[in-house]
Amino acid sequence: MRKKSIFISLLFLIFSAQHAFASEISLQTLQEQIGSLANLVKDLQGTVQHQSQLIESQNVKIQFLEKKSEERTISAKGFQQPVSSLSEPVNAPKTAGLSQGFNPDIGFVTSIQANSTQSREDADGKDTIALKEAELSISQYVDPYSRLDGIISFNDNLERQNVDVEEVYYTHWGLPAGFIGQIGKFRSKIGKANLLHSHQLDTVDYPLVIRNFFGDEGLASSGARLQNSIPNPWDIPLEVTGEILRGNNGNSFSGISRRPIFNTHVKTFFEMSKDSNLEFGWTTLFGDENPAINIFNGDGTTTREIPEAGQNKYGVKVFGGDATFNWYLPEGKTLKFQNEVYFQNRATETRHANRNPWGLYSLVDYRFSRRFSTGIRYDFLEPLDVNAHETNAISPYFTFWQSEFADFRLQYSYTRPAGGAEEPNHEVFLKANILIGAHKHPVQ
Amino acid sequence: MKTKLRFLCFGILLSSILFSENVALAAEKTRMVATTSTLASMVRELAGDWADIHYIASPSQNIHFIQPTPKDVLKVKKANVFVHQGLDLEAWRDPLLVASGNSLFLSQGSHSIDASKGVPLIEIPASLSRVQGDIHAYGNPHYAIDPENAKIMMGTIADGLSRIFPESASEFAKKSELWISRLDQKIKDWNARMAPFRGFPIVTYHRSWPYFANRFGLVIVGELEPKPGIPPTPQHLSELMKTMKEKNVKLVIKEVFNESSSAEKVAKVTGARVVTLNQDVDEDKETADYIAMIEHNIQLIEKALKT
Repeated sequence: MRKKSIFISLLFLIFSAQHAFASEISLQTLQEQIGSLANLVKDLQGTVQHQSQLIESQNVKIQFLEKKSEERTISAKGFQQPVSSLSEPVNAPKTAGLSQGFNPDIGFVTSIQANSTQSREDADGKDTIALKEAELSISQYVDPYSRLDGIISFNDNLERQNVDVEEVYYTHWGLPAGFIGQIGKFRSKIGKANLLHSHQLDTVDYPLVIRNFFGDEGLASSGARLQNSIPNPWDIPLEVTGEILRGNNGNSFSGISRRPIFNTHVKTFFEMSKDSNLEFGWTTLFGDENPAINIFNGDGTTTREIPEAGQNKYGVKVFGGDATFNWYLPEGKTLKFQNEVYFQNRATETRHANRNPWGLYSLVDYRFSRRFSTGIRYDFLEPLDVNAHETNAISPYFTFWQSEFADFRLQYSYTRPAGGAEEPNHEVFLKANILIGAHKHPVQ
Repeated sequence: MKTKLRFLCFGILLSSILFSENVALAAEKTRMVATTSTLASMVRELAGDWADIHYIASPSQNIHFIQPTPKDVLKVKKANVFVHQGLDLEAWRDPLLVASGNSLFLSQGSHSIDASKGVPLIEIPASLSRVQGDIHAYGNPHYAIDPENAKIMMGTIADGLSRIFPESASEFAKKSELWISRLDQKIKDWNARMAPFRGFPIVTYHRSWPYFANRFGLVIVGELEPKPGIPPTPQHLSELMKTMKEKNVKLVIKEVFNESSSAEKVAKVTGARVVTLNQDVDEDKETADYIAMIEHNIQLIEKALKT
């Protein structure tokens, strides 16, 4: 009986062990199979992804070949393919029709400015907000030899709501000796800041010396311009510009003049290193003014008369120098140090009290990220209308670049007026520049 | 005063004539200008022996925001050949050409070579709106980073130079074929080395890597920029980090001219690695030509993904 029970127990044990062993084997096999299936699925996923990319690139190639085939068909029908530096893109969007391709580039820049100032002389009021400027720019090539650029400005100032032809000029290249000619109305080639439109400035406003000598928006005038980058064996950039501008323009040349203003500008440039450069410029302006004279009549009235003669021809001379240092720092940061100085030699005191006004500004601008830049401008001026007194201003600012098409600038300006009798002026500006459409600026 | 003015005008005219292009270039090499260092290196492969080659855009700066200098204007003015990447990559190209006044590129355009010709473009927008960011009207213009496209570009440049200098056409053809065969060899090597990383998800700073990613089978799952050309925002980076974690992204690619802080931030949170790859030749000392540049990029990716 005992032997029988031992035998049955042994059989049971052997059977159980076998069963357990078999279960263990099948579980291990199953796990291996699942593992290999997972690997297979992973491989298949990779293959599908690769095939999808291949199909996408093949589709692109098919589109390209179809386009090519269409072009060949057009060619075969007798249309000559244009050869141009401004060549047609390979896959131009089909949304643009042929006729649209001839339309000018159109851009629209809006500058909205809010001011808060203590000055009693501020024409715009103490605290105000205004659409300072809305610029409509239109430009296109005229033919293979020339192009036309125009900028029309709309203002919503309190005292004068108007439309200005800011610039409209025709450019012709390929003139003898490599000259480029321009006629029309343009911003005069004076230093650095005068060339820029207000939305291109690093600061909210133009430097004091530019405003005092050439007007609030700088000097833009009708006239003709010849420009040349003079080639030389040393490859030193030497750009020479000569301008003949209509007289009676800007603060310095205001009045009624029968003679034009002559302007010459010379510029040179040095590369200090791979990432830094230095630019120097010199400006010379000759012009005159022929101001009206007040004649006091016996009955207490005043008559304004324009003298026939008696003014010194080209009695107003303006000389200016500019120096700009640019440093391109790692990760897209930039540092700019820009300086301009101007002085005048005036033959008469008929219109402005100061016969030798002069002024300068220094600006440091640091773009420390794609989103933010900051800087400071120092202004010094012995103004046209105040003799032997100076005015100083310091203007720190901070700019937030929402994108390359929208920026918002906060600026504080402390100005100590000439004469010293008045209180210093504290101003806070907030300016937004917003751009839509195509907008390209000429190389400065 | 009149005398002074006359003297001034006469001086300007005289100096222009004295140093006119013909006089200055009489004993000099043929001058060529390329918009990028990559194009310049390709031109150098073909005509480096007898041409003086200048490029405009420093590879350490963002090509979209280049401000041509007076030196660039002078170089273009004196150049006989102008090679560019076409499309709307170089927004400053037109103003530069107008400032130079060089009729060879402006009036006839016959001495101008557009390297984009024949390149199959991707990401051509169906509609144009700045809501989509700083998009490119004709498609993604960062095509030069794909070595297969580089072969097409080299062919186009060789054809262009042959058109301008027909007497050297056979030399250009021979040199371009040699270069393309060298590149072909390297492409095989690069494909083999990148094969283990096919299907790997990556993140880039700007949309300048799709051609490269497509070529080597990397999958771009997002960019640090919320839209092309729009700087990263905290909200977008937060969403991107979530995606990166979900998709197990291990690599963030940025360009040398883009800031590191955003890339480092997302990498730190997600455990990814940041590599700064070259978009153009000459960005680093060891990337003096196109093949060296791609080799450099591949090495950095291998290193980042293997560890």
